[in-house]
Amino acid sequence: MMETKSFPGVVDSLDPLRDYIGELAARAGLSKKKTYSLILAADEIATNIILYGYERAGLTGDFSVLSEVTDSALTIILEDIAEAFDPLARELPSEEDLARSLDEREIGGLGIFLTVNGVDEFSWEYADGRNRNKFVMKIEGS
Amino acid sequence: MAFQIESVVEDKAARLTLHGELDSLSARVFQTEVEKIANQDIEALVLDLEDLNFMSSAGLRVLIYSKQKIGPKLAIYIVKPQELIVDTLEKTGLQHSVTIVDQYPA
Repeated sequence: MMETKSFPGVVDSLDPLRDYIGELAARAGLSKKKTYSLILAADEIATNIILYGYERAGLTGDFSVLSEVTDSALTIILEDIAEAFDPLARELPSEEDLARSLDEREIGGLGIFLTVNGVDEFSWEYADGRNRNKFVMKIEGS
Repeated sequence: MAFQIESVVEDKAARLTLHGELDSLSARVFQTEVEKIANQDIEALVLDLEDLNFMSSAGLRVLIYSKQKIGPKLAIYIVKPQELIVDTLEKTGLQHSVTIVDQYPA
């Protein structure tokens, strides 16, 4: 059964969002490392929603966390009503980019890189006026 | 846990001690502290992360910003980071640009 919880689309929501994702991960029995990676991924995507989807566009709105725990996986969907934004549209930093020293680094792209690398599945879709960023964490031993 | 930061400059080393969680909200506070020390004659930036439980890419961006703002000669030391934060530094290749230590000075 899907559970839904909403948060105001402001940066102050990141802290309670992380707590909530931590609770869901605990319920699903995820390891400490998987829990951290999922919290990080959700924080990164929520940050983009809040800063770019809402604040930069001059919009106010909430975002929702839809979640489902089954025997085999924890699925989390972040939904927002900002303009369609595909976080995967931008090219991820390459090995070469990641090997660069700090003085010649570009500052963007690390958040989505950590998201994609931190969860078992990540996908985005835009439907019914909503962005849906979906994260799947497989449950160990299933 | 609420984010806290303390800053001390001594012998051309700026030591910042971070507590709690470093996300895009608290990274603004971290960046402001870096801006305050950027005009001083600093050779080392020492970040004590023993009590930091979370760091998002917003925190990584401040590390990159520090080096670019203060200059290529700046040495960045990270003292006692938690394992999951080390993972993030490794995944993003930033561990090559910082020195991870158990204490500073050694």
